[in-house]
Amino acid sequence: MKARVNRWQIIYLSVFFVVLYLPVLSVILYSFNANASTAKWTGWTLDWYRQLFNDRVIGQAFVISIEVAVLTAIVSAVLGTAAAVISLSLTERMKKAVQWVMLLPLLVPEVALGVSLLMFFNALRLPFGHLTLVLSHSLFCVPYVYVMVRLRLAEIDREIIESARDLGATKWQAIRTIVLPLVMPSIITSALLAIAMSLDDVVISTYMSGPRATTLPVHIFSMMRVGVTPKVNALCTLILLGTFLIIGLNQFVNIKSKPKGVV
Amino acid sequence: MKGGISAKAGGAGGAKRGGLEALRQNVLAFPILAWFGLFVGIPMVYVVVVSFLTRDDLGNIVWQFTLDNYRRIADPVYLRIFANSFLLAFLTGVVTLLVGYPVAYTTARLEPKRRNLAIGLIILPFWISSLLRTYGWVILLGNWGIINNVLTALGLIDQPLQLMYKFGTTLVGTAYMLIPFMIIAIYNSVDKLDKSLLEASYDLGAGRWQTFFKIVLPLTIPGIAGGFTLVFIPALGLYFISDLLGGGQTVFLGNLIHTLVNRGRNRPLAAAFSVGMIVMVILVVAICSRVTRSKREGFLL
Amino acid sequence: MKKSNYITMGILLIAVLVFIVMTSTRDKGEEINLMTWGGDFIPRVIIDEFTKETGIKVNYKEVTSNEDMQSLLEANPDQYDLAVVTDYMVDILRQNGMLEKLDKSKVPNVKNVNPVYQGNYYDPNNEYSIPYAVSTSFLLVNPEAVAALGAHPITSYKDLWQPELKNKIVLIDWSVEIIGLVLKSLGYEYNETDPVKVAQAKEKLFELKPNIVRFETNTPEDSLVNGEAVVGFMYSNQAVKGQAANPKLQPVFPEEGFPIYIDSWVMSKQAPHKDAAYKFLNFILQPETAARIAEMTKFTSPNKAAEPYLSDEFRNNPMLNLPDEVAENTSFYIGVEKVLEEYEHIYSEFKLR
Repeated sequence: MKARVNRWQIIYLSVFFVVLYLPVLSVILYSFNANASTAKWTGWTLDWYRQLFNDRVIGQAFVISIEVAVLTAIVSAVLGTAAAVISLSLTERMKKAVQWVMLLPLLVPEVALGVSLLMFFNALRLPFGHLTLVLSHSLFCVPYVYVMVRLRLAEIDREIIESARDLGATKWQAIRTIVLPLVMPSIITSALLAIAMSLDDVVISTYMSGPRATTLPVHIFSMMRVGVTPKVNALCTLILLGTFLIIGLNQFVNIKSKPKGVV
Repeated sequence: MKGGISAKAGGAGGAKRGGLEALRQNVLAFPILAWFGLFVGIPMVYVVVVSFLTRDDLGNIVWQFTLDNYRRIADPVYLRIFANSFLLAFLTGVVTLLVGYPVAYTTARLEPKRRNLAIGLIILPFWISSLLRTYGWVILLGNWGIINNVLTALGLIDQPLQLMYKFGTTLVGTAYMLIPFMIIAIYNSVDKLDKSLLEASYDLGAGRWQTFFKIVLPLTIPGIAGGFTLVFIPALGLYFISDLLGGGQTVFLGNLIHTLVNRGRNRPLAAAFSVGMIVMVILVVAICSRVTRSKREGFLL
Repeated sequence: MKKSNYITMGILLIAVLVFIVMTSTRDKGEEINLMTWGGDFIPRVIIDEFTKETGIKVNYKEVTSNEDMQSLLEANPDQYDLAVVTDYMVDILRQNGMLEKLDKSKVPNVKNVNPVYQGNYYDPNNEYSIPYAVSTSFLLVNPEAVAALGAHPITSYKDLWQPELKNKIVLIDWSVEIIGLVLKSLGYEYNETDPVKVAQAKEKLFELKPNIVRFETNTPEDSLVNGEAVVGFMYSNQAVKGQAANPKLQPVFPEEGFPIYIDSWVMSKQAPHKDAAYKFLNFILQPETAARIAEMTKFTSPNKAAEPYLSDEFRNNPMLNLPDEVAENTSFYIGVEKVLEEYEHIYSEFKLR
């Protein structure tokens, strides 16, 4: 298939990326600000990076958040995809029921979710920490996976599945070899979004983490009362650098490998 | 057995074949409904129940049925807050759609390797704390911010542009925060388009715009609806963006509920507002699905 | 998807799980669980010194509000030892029976606490709380900029209504504080319930709207530093930061009176590590330690014995070191629950104008 992308579209895309990254660049820039607050720029410094390396607390919070985010992404991806694939073969009414149930986590205000889950998990005597965090985070991430996968599943050529079945494949085999590869791009993009949302969650994480754990976003938000220092900017800059490196590596590896097409 | 097609056939002929057949078809759905029903049902029930209760001076909940909270909501001041929030959320949906659709469309038509890179670059900023990125906007838009400094240095303006603390500022910040959901939703819809349809259309002599409006747009409506829903709902609830960028000048539902739960110590009233918000969302989503109902399925109710 | 991708994902998953198991903390040795705001509100340096001296590990859970702490404490009272909460929350927790009556014999250093900050409404007999940090709110002014606008110098709340100050005021975003400010400017007390007086305050409040450029609870001093505001009503620690960034900014303690907040230590009735917690409290109350805490957090120390150890700069700055006479003339926001709903409604209406 020829990619018919013309010059105007590339220009638009480029402008979009510039605007998208402007605030990000501000964040990076102000990680070098000698002044502790964003109100004034008083000069360049690497102090915040030095402080960052000596700060065990923010490091711990970061590690916890990453662990929870990755696990949440995996759990959400599995549950969301399962729900989307299963909903293909349901009756019309059941389909609607599932779709509404999938939307529900987004409707409930976070604070209600946090407080009621706190009481519920307490009653179940669950240990508060990674387990409760992942459970609660996946609650609000699954709807996104579901929607994205469902979008791609619609109109999947039933005849392909038919033929596979007629050729002797079981339902599961048909799903694994035909459906899953087709929706994999959706699964991966929504998993990446799930990581972003998990890394950003404050309200639910406050209630779901135990007495020993503080997640990174909660750590940052709880700093607001006394002012967020550029140490956080430094951390975010490093996170960006890290992920850029990973993307770069991925691209590098891809260039070396044969062009494979979809993801 | 024919898996997919029997879904439709089962729907039409389900009544004839009886509940047992439908049950067999739906059996896999029950774990899903059970899991989510439980985890989300409980908070839902909690919110609804609390909205009918009242509280004592200390802010503790008192188990006494009352409609007072709902009576309080039906008040011009509070209704205006609902309207403000609806407006913000709706406009956020529109803005993200207008800005995001071309992005998604172009990205879907890039070569596969470039495509993955583009998607990665779109999602990447959202791994950075949203609070920091909103502060980033503050730095950009302030009277002594980067944009004003650059424009003044270039001699394009004498006075700094008053960009902050307006409705538009909050809109920009909220749209910025939620746009990846719109883009990815539309991208998923566009990406699975059968390219041969487009080729056929061009071969038949249709111009680019014609092809777009007659073929691409209708086929990607599910993506638009899905994206709009995923943007509209969070936009109703976000509040720290209006605090930082809007200077706290307007009150939105998110601010109100947050204040009522915390320093307001009034969970029942906050719950009533939450129920109001939930009802508003259900209405919007239901209307959305009716308006875009088509024979094909996608994410639609 | 390629098999290699599945394998990579599998390895990644296993690595994460192993990592989690390895880094999860077990309950080995003594520890205490405390809970309060972040941002080094309890300086880590001090905590580390405590751990070094006693071997007791301190788990510091950071939260974003008093109400978070209340929810967490009420849900799991046996998981937290200590919390630092603001005075009104001490009152609520005490009335809800969540707090332990402190055994003063285990905290001998409590004698260092300044009596001015004790015996208040939220803990009349000093049984449940020990003050940690004291703050007030007042006006921070840029006198030069005010004069440049052609306005009278600002000495009291009344001066905020000058039309020359259009779009030049920044306020903390909380109905009780702002309406309180208006009430004081009319000569009334905080949390007034008399409908006539409240109606008056409402009208006066509406008149103030055009002058306000921004409502900001976390960093209002920024608006004064970057010049978008020339006067602001904010907390003492914020005013201190503002002045540090721009020495031209001056505090104004309004003659009508201003509020005080006392953040205090409380212990959960079902605290799991009471003895260790008492040791921590005693450590914090040491004079030198308290002085260092005050200097680091920029709050007034309620520890009288700490005063000789304060730096001259700190001791002589009324924003940082509230003099006793001044403290006695401040007021708490008592009786908030009676007026909250109405004030919130007025405030919402005010903002929508």
